[in-house]
Amino acid sequence: MPRLLSLILLLQAFACGVAHAAGQHLQLVVTRPYLEMRTGPGRGYPVFYVVARGEKLTVLYSRTDWFKVRAPRGEEGWTYRDELAQTTLPSGAPAPVPGYPDFATHRWEIGAGYGVYNRQNLVTAYGDFGLTRSLDAELVLQQAFGTLDNRYLATIGLRHTLIPEWRRFSPTLGIGTGYQYTQGKVPPKPLETNNQLAYVSVGARGFITRRFMWRFDWRSYVVFTRQNSNEEPEEWKFDLAVFF
Amino acid sequence: MEIRLGGVLLAAVALSGCAWFHRGDHRPTPLGAGDGAGASTADQTIIEPQVTRRVVKTPKIKASDFELGAYFGALSIQDFGTNPVYGARLAYHVTEDVFMEGYLARSRAGTTSLQDVFPNITVLSNSGKQFTYYDLDLGYNILPGEVFLGRGRAFNTALYTTVGMGDVKFAGTDRFALNFGVGTRILITDWVAMHMDVRDHVFETDLTGRTKNVHNIEATLGVTVFY
Repeated sequence: MPRLLSLILLLQAFACGVAHAAGQHLQLVVTRPYLEMRTGPGRGYPVFYVVARGEKLTVLYSRTDWFKVRAPRGEEGWTYRDELAQTTLPSGAPAPVPGYPDFATHRWEIGAGYGVYNRQNLVTAYGDFGLTRSLDAELVLQQAFGTLDNRYLATIGLRHTLIPEWRRFSPTLGIGTGYQYTQGKVPPKPLETNNQLAYVSVGARGFITRRFMWRFDWRSYVVFTRQNSNEEPEEWKFDLAVFF
Repeated sequence: MEIRLGGVLLAAVALSGCAWFHRGDHRPTPLGAGDGAGASTADQTIIEPQVTRRVVKTPKIKASDFELGAYFGALSIQDFGTNPVYGARLAYHVTEDVFMEGYLARSRAGTTSLQDVFPNITVLSNSGKQFTYYDLDLGYNILPGEVFLGRGRAFNTALYTTVGMGDVKFAGTDRFALNFGVGTRILITDWVAMHMDVRDHVFETDLTGRTKNVHNIEATLGVTVFY
């Protein structure tokens, strides 16, 4: 019996969740002569239905540049961003269809790429948050593959974009700090495995299309050791990223 | 009896329960509505209508550009036989054509052909047999389309290629590896997809005595969920 009761409560919660979720979709009115609905979220999928002017449609969710919509009589299909942007809210205000983020003022970046660190192959993944138009904070995770050792690097830094309005090619300067973990591959073991490091960087970034961008970075590191001299490796890398 | 009682309880609570969440929805009747007598008494104090501006919240459109799932299949580790592989994948669809993807998977090497002839030779330690990899890939949907099941059912599909790089940990050491793949995504619903992939992980190794590039081809079947 307790099991049955708990099942009832679970179903109850689920039923109410569904009921509430159904009421929270955006409703838009078609103002152009018609709006096309396709069978899939892509330019090649066939148009199977059109919503007439003045009719209301419900926007269920989006995938890339396509929006899943429901027609007044229940038919569901996909419509393109530009076409949906030409509808209005029931109040007559323009439809709140999100456009592409502006490259110069975007907030978030996520990217990955290839590079060379200390003459070793390097795999990079990074996340970047725009503090202002020209100043970003970034977190970079990297793995370098050497013949004698593998290195894992985690760095946080600040990056200054000199002229954020330049879209295709805009130089950047950076500074930051982090940690390096060294894992020996062949004997003898590395003298130190955990080291703090600092870097300065020179690079560039540029807009490709829609939400895509590229980044190039050259970094000069100082790895702080307990030996007589610090290590001073160099690195370059090329990343592809998406911005939000 | 208990089942019948349970059924009644289930129906009663499920039907009634939603009303509880709407308990605040009763709007009070406006003051003076339908009160014709009140209007005629002009000397009464005029009641200032207290109208608060209704804040209309426009619902946001939920994006479902991420794809998360698991896969299982066979990985042919060069010189070490074909073995089961299982892994997880996370993808972000940037446009209808391009996506970025990350994989994490594991397999375990078998024995070399040499060990079939000389069973007493040890090539890999027990922990060295672990084959673990991660990849960061860029994917492109080359052939999007539909497949048909009978007369009344169509599923959206895409044939895609991926290229990327990552780490293969095998025989106790990490190696830089490139990977190239071809796959098919069949969307069972708009939320659930089935994947069939063939991918080659290429890296340089000297495990068998001379340095060479090895090709480790895997064929996998996976399920993903868009969210």
